[in-house]
Amino acid sequence: MISALSALPTAAVGEVGEGFLKHRTGETLPCQAHTSHLFCWDWATEHINRFGTPALQQFELVVISVLIGFAIAFAFALFAHRYRPLQWPLLAGTGVLFAIPSIAFFLLLLPITGRGRETAIIALSAYTLQIIYRNVMQGLGNVPESAKDAARGMGFTQRQILWKVELPLAVPEIVGGLRIATVSTMAIATLAVFAHAGGLGTQIYAGGNEVFPTAIIIAGGIAILMALGIDAVLLTVQRFATPWRRAAAEAA
Amino acid sequence: MPASEAIEQPQGGASSVSYQGATKRYGNTSAPAVDHLDLEVEAGEICVLVGPSGCGKTTSMRMVNRMIELSEGDILIGGESVKKRDAAKLRREIGYVIQQVGLFPHRTIAQNIATVPQLLDWDKERIRARTTELLDLVGLDPDLADRFPVQLSGGQQQRVGVARALAVDPPVMLMDEPFGAIDPINRERLQNEFLRLQAEIRKTILFVTHDIDEAIKMGDRIAIMKQHGRVEQYATPSEILMSPANEFVEDFVGADRALKRLSLLRVGDIDLWKAPNARPGQSTAEVRAELDAPDVEVPYALLVDADERPQGWLSRRDLAGDTVPATADAPLGPVLETGDVMRDALADLLQGESMYAAVVDHQGRIAGILSVEIISEFLASPVAKTEEQSAVERPVEHPVDSPHD
Amino acid sequence: MTAALLTHPLFAGFTGAFEFIFSKQESDVTGGKKVGGIEQVLELAWTQIELSVLALLLAMLIAIPAGLYFGHRGKGELIAVGIGNAGRAIPELAAIALVATVIGVGFPGLVFVLALLGVPPILTNTFVGVRQVDHATVDASRGLGLTEFQVIRKVELPLAVPSIMTGIRGATVNIVATATIAPLAGVLTLGDFILGENVYGVNGVLAGAICTAILALLFEFALAGLQRRLTSKGLRLQQAQ
Repeated sequence: MISALSALPTAAVGEVGEGFLKHRTGETLPCQAHTSHLFCWDWATEHINRFGTPALQQFELVVISVLIGFAIAFAFALFAHRYRPLQWPLLAGTGVLFAIPSIAFFLLLLPITGRGRETAIIALSAYTLQIIYRNVMQGLGNVPESAKDAARGMGFTQRQILWKVELPLAVPEIVGGLRIATVSTMAIATLAVFAHAGGLGTQIYAGGNEVFPTAIIIAGGIAILMALGIDAVLLTVQRFATPWRRAAAEAA
Repeated sequence: MPASEAIEQPQGGASSVSYQGATKRYGNTSAPAVDHLDLEVEAGEICVLVGPSGCGKTTSMRMVNRMIELSEGDILIGGESVKKRDAAKLRREIGYVIQQVGLFPHRTIAQNIATVPQLLDWDKERIRARTTELLDLVGLDPDLADRFPVQLSGGQQQRVGVARALAVDPPVMLMDEPFGAIDPINRERLQNEFLRLQAEIRKTILFVTHDIDEAIKMGDRIAIMKQHGRVEQYATPSEILMSPANEFVEDFVGADRALKRLSLLRVGDIDLWKAPNARPGQSTAEVRAELDAPDVEVPYALLVDADERPQGWLSRRDLAGDTVPATADAPLGPVLETGDVMRDALADLLQGESMYAAVVDHQGRIAGILSVEIISEFLASPVAKTEEQSAVERPVEHPVDSPHD
Repeated sequence: MTAALLTHPLFAGFTGAFEFIFSKQESDVTGGKKVGGIEQVLELAWTQIELSVLALLLAMLIAIPAGLYFGHRGKGELIAVGIGNAGRAIPELAAIALVATVIGVGFPGLVFVLALLGVPPILTNTFVGVRQVDHATVDASRGLGLTEFQVIRKVELPLAVPSIMTGIRGATVNIVATATIAPLAGVLTLGDFILGENVYGVNGVLAGAICTAILALLFEFALAGLQRRLTSKGLRLQQAQ
């Protein structure tokens, strides 16, 4: 089985392992003299296009992983909210998945799902679970007892209270968890190159020993920008979804 | 004793507190939060600072232990300026009780109480002994010492707060709405117990509240503030109730001033009327003669037993025979005690639907008759039999029931 | 039955890895050269532990006092939380690669970079933890006569422990994960197995993954235990409500 795995095409997306040792043309050479060139603007402007596909791959990986992770973690949290005994095991379980370094996770899955996007997505989703689970639990926990009590007194069923009172009030914490999860996962997804799943890591890791400051900075920079960008978008969504908080801030 | 040592370890007892032109200004606002406050609090007194929100009462109190620093003026404790001392050291000699209590959730009750003693390097034995003493003083079960605050009720927590403040026997105590967060029933209990405690330990206490009733109940003297910490009237509760200095004070005290005065009185403080007493077997002719006397205050005869304990009211029919019967026709109705607070007595009287109520002493013997008329007569006259003081200050004839929280 | 389970194709992949961990194997990739074995595993694991622990301690040394100070004063919320957000966004791979090329290979340089990666979560959580202490408790402690320093030490710090420990645990996850790819910067840790397929073979890669996961979990359990011991009983009771 292992030999079969090794025989699989190692690059689902084509750029892994090619690195810069192979692309060392006359254009890149001066920029690789890192003692004098920390950042080559010329090279950057000329070669900016090569970052397009990797950036897109990484973006996709992150969005899909976070969505899957959210779906699972949210479900966990709803169960744990109902059945207290589940709380600790779920927290501990998601915690274990969180603690395992992603690169190790990618490769632990090697005999099971091989290399490729699926592997990356599974590992990245697992990483987001604890963050989201914990935040949803905290959000639900911070709902004032008086609001729930009043709802119960008015004749709401448990389920109605959950969806109409508790969850809306927990939105800021839940979205907060999503933001943290997304930003963290974006940073980690640069490692997806080791799962042969593409991403900006392909522009950083050469497979050899020579790496290249300008490319690293651009790749890292794009990852950071994407992360902060999604963060800002989610923040806006949250503000939009909680008009009562805006009103409170204005009244204060 | 060397001066430094005296300063480090509070000597117990009580010190006077003197505000001298104390002022607090925030930023550039023209009106100060507290404007040149002059106030003298005598040692061993409870001085209540009372007024509406924002009047500067809390600020004034917190200037004493420098939780808020003076902008101008000075405050003297026992004649010594608070500004002279290092703030943290000063505060170790001043008891501090706040509304939300502020117990340390991560430490046991005993450790909470031991906070200042530990700061002053008391040895463990002394701390332990003092802790047990204090728990008893504030009416808490000593078993609670090893519990954590979260395991106690609100009332119990505030008792711990008071114990903690008293730990090193400071000469001055500051209390900022200490019973405000507690339910009314327990609040009354705590107030009563605290007054009893104060009767024992006699500390100088600055007590802040927004509740005029609490002020009247707790204070030896009350300073009513309107705004900027300016004192509209500083006097004993009865003076304030009888002669409010201005319209603000009058309004603040409330339209039921007269009724409030009744909280300061005990039944035994005023002259009670007398009703003819009749024992079983006594000749009814004698009793009727007394009833027909021109100066009789109560036109009904009261049946009493051999020990002079009232049994009931005698009707015309009862007195129709030759001798007084053993039991009376009309029931006794509400029975009051000389130690009862007048306000409660009036309530009982009104509820009883009778004009007269028998008043007994602490042994159950008849002491006199109370009626609504007597009460209103008294209120109309400016002089009472004894000087009106906080009802609890004077020795109580028999203890009031109060189970612990 | 266990035998049947172990020979299931799923686990078959791992038996090779376990053999790699415990005994030196003839590498089926480089041919003839002996690789793996428990000695090498422990050696690389130890380097990773050293690297992680030193980086964590350095991060704590920087972040906790800063977080305590600013949290106590109540100022600098934007910076403390902002650093936390920004720090989270930094891709570890880029950080390591940059270290390797700019600062050059070396253990000290790496400790420093890993510490920087660990500072944001600890700083933010310490700050927030201190801020969340009940104001009444702090006011009472000041009123009793504790100096500002004593207030931090005896009241705010113990009550912020859960939050601080959460930050430390998060930082540790980050640090251990980045330490795994330290071989890219010349410091050999367990990640070398993972990254060096052409030296250690697929078994080595899997072995590296397993060992790294175990190491990370050991850190996690250790810190979870530490958190439990450091959290006052009174706090735990309060949290349980």
